[in-house]
Amino acid sequence: MTVAADAAHLIAVRDLAARYGHIEALRPTNLHVAPGEFVTILGPNGAGKTTLLRAMTRLIASTGQVVFRGRDVTSLKTHQLADLGIIMVQEGRGLFGDMSVRENLKIGAYKLAGSQVDHDRQLEKVFSLFPRLKERISQTASSMSGGEQQMLAVGRALMADPKLLILDEPSLGLAPRVATEILSTLGALNKEGLGILLVEQKAPLALKLAQRVYILSSGSVRAELPTHEIKSHHDLALYYFS
Amino acid sequence: MPSVVELVQSLVNGIGIGLIYGLIAIGFCVIYNASGIVNFAQGVFVMLGGMFAHTILTHYGLPIWLSAVLATILVAGVGVLVQIFVINPMWRRNAPLFAIILATLAVQLLIEQVVILTLGDQPRTYPEFTSGGPLKIGPIAVGYQLFWVLGCGAVMVFSLQQFFNRTRMGRALRACAQNREAAALLGVPVERMLIVAFALSSGLGAAAGILITPTQYTAYMVGGPFGINGFIAAIIGGFGSPPAALIGGIFLGVIQSEAIVFFGAGFKNIISLTLLLVVLLLFPNGLFGGLTKRA
Repeated sequence: MTVAADAAHLIAVRDLAARYGHIEALRPTNLHVAPGEFVTILGPNGAGKTTLLRAMTRLIASTGQVVFRGRDVTSLKTHQLADLGIIMVQEGRGLFGDMSVRENLKIGAYKLAGSQVDHDRQLEKVFSLFPRLKERISQTASSMSGGEQQMLAVGRALMADPKLLILDEPSLGLAPRVATEILSTLGALNKEGLGILLVEQKAPLALKLAQRVYILSSGSVRAELPTHEIKSHHDLALYYFS
Repeated sequence: MPSVVELVQSLVNGIGIGLIYGLIAIGFCVIYNASGIVNFAQGVFVMLGGMFAHTILTHYGLPIWLSAVLATILVAGVGVLVQIFVINPMWRRNAPLFAIILATLAVQLLIEQVVILTLGDQPRTYPEFTSGGPLKIGPIAVGYQLFWVLGCGAVMVFSLQQFFNRTRMGRALRACAQNREAAALLGVPVERMLIVAFALSSGLGAAAGILITPTQYTAYMVGGPFGINGFIAAIIGGFGSPPAALIGGIFLGVIQSEAIVFFGAGFKNIISLTLLLVVLLLFPNGLFGGLTKRA
């Protein structure tokens, strides 16, 4: 595959591989997300899902190629990928705990620089999706509940006006109702045209929202298929351990 | 037993030197909070501030205020060079923090040797910023330079607070301190922020050196003691906010000054190091608890 061939995709990953010392955590992996597509990556613990996302966003060294909107971005640094619109919400949320909700959101808008209009527009959008953040605006991030913190993590990522939103297990540790609320919001954002790549353990929820799914196991992609082809957990288990 | 006048006079002197320790301590905190690195070259920036200001003042005949500004900029430039050529390469290679900290110690020794070779090993000083004085308040004498230290210290702490809380770059530095990966994922250029931290920190050290030189002297070897005292002040303050570091510095300065009055100059370091141990035993995270944030 060439960069030109990947130009139709929002993001395309070619033969991406990563190691932790001698351990091959991610074997050469191919993956793509089309513009406006919602893609989910499923897999058991230790499958390499987080490693894949960290390699894509250059948080760890890797080999292979990443093409974003037809441009080879393999050599770019993490913050430069963010400048292009690739924004990731980390597992564990990665909030700035000592900073207020307002400050966290302002950091989210870091790449918008001095554009107050853009900043205000993004802030209104975030508040309309998560009204609770407006109520907690002066509260420190660490003092909020788990669900509110996850809303802040997603809201902060949206402040950056992403073109591709990557999320690593956003429902981890949340009550089912809160997890459903947050994932439903992601579904609504996708309907507005935002490309989403989601790593999620709560397979039923993720499969409801996504159009396509990659199944990762032992550091490599075992299957790529439309979500409607997965009928049951039994199907998933077969792919996990095949 | 010292008289009340002696005690008050030493208190005033202690506040003066304590403010200097506080400024150095803030320099330690800025880098530590942005990177987790304890920069043991911080003391050498204090020395360079005084040396550069003296050189510009005497060789080029510029006014003291201009010499001070130029010296601060030059030392900030040295700090940036240290970051670019020493810290950043190690950082990129994922060197352990203790190795980077050791490298900062090597930088301190290296710069001291360069100063001996280029500027000489003789102590030097220059006049106080405001001539005349000291101001007599009853039996207590307060040098005009103390007011400069007080005023500049207050302005710098206030400015830093505003910078960290109200500016985009200041918030980004705080974000890097709390979670570098999350900051980078939002578009914050973390390595550039570390350069800013070194520039700020070395500039603060230079300002401390420029302010204190008229009341003492500067020479290639003053960086070590100033660095150690600034580090102790930062630990006492808890490596937290600039005001906490400043209070830690004043606390240390006053204790040292009173120790000299009560026990003699030989006990100055014994008392200050004992104080450090007591603080660490009773408040392991510093008086204001800032060390817990990175634990």
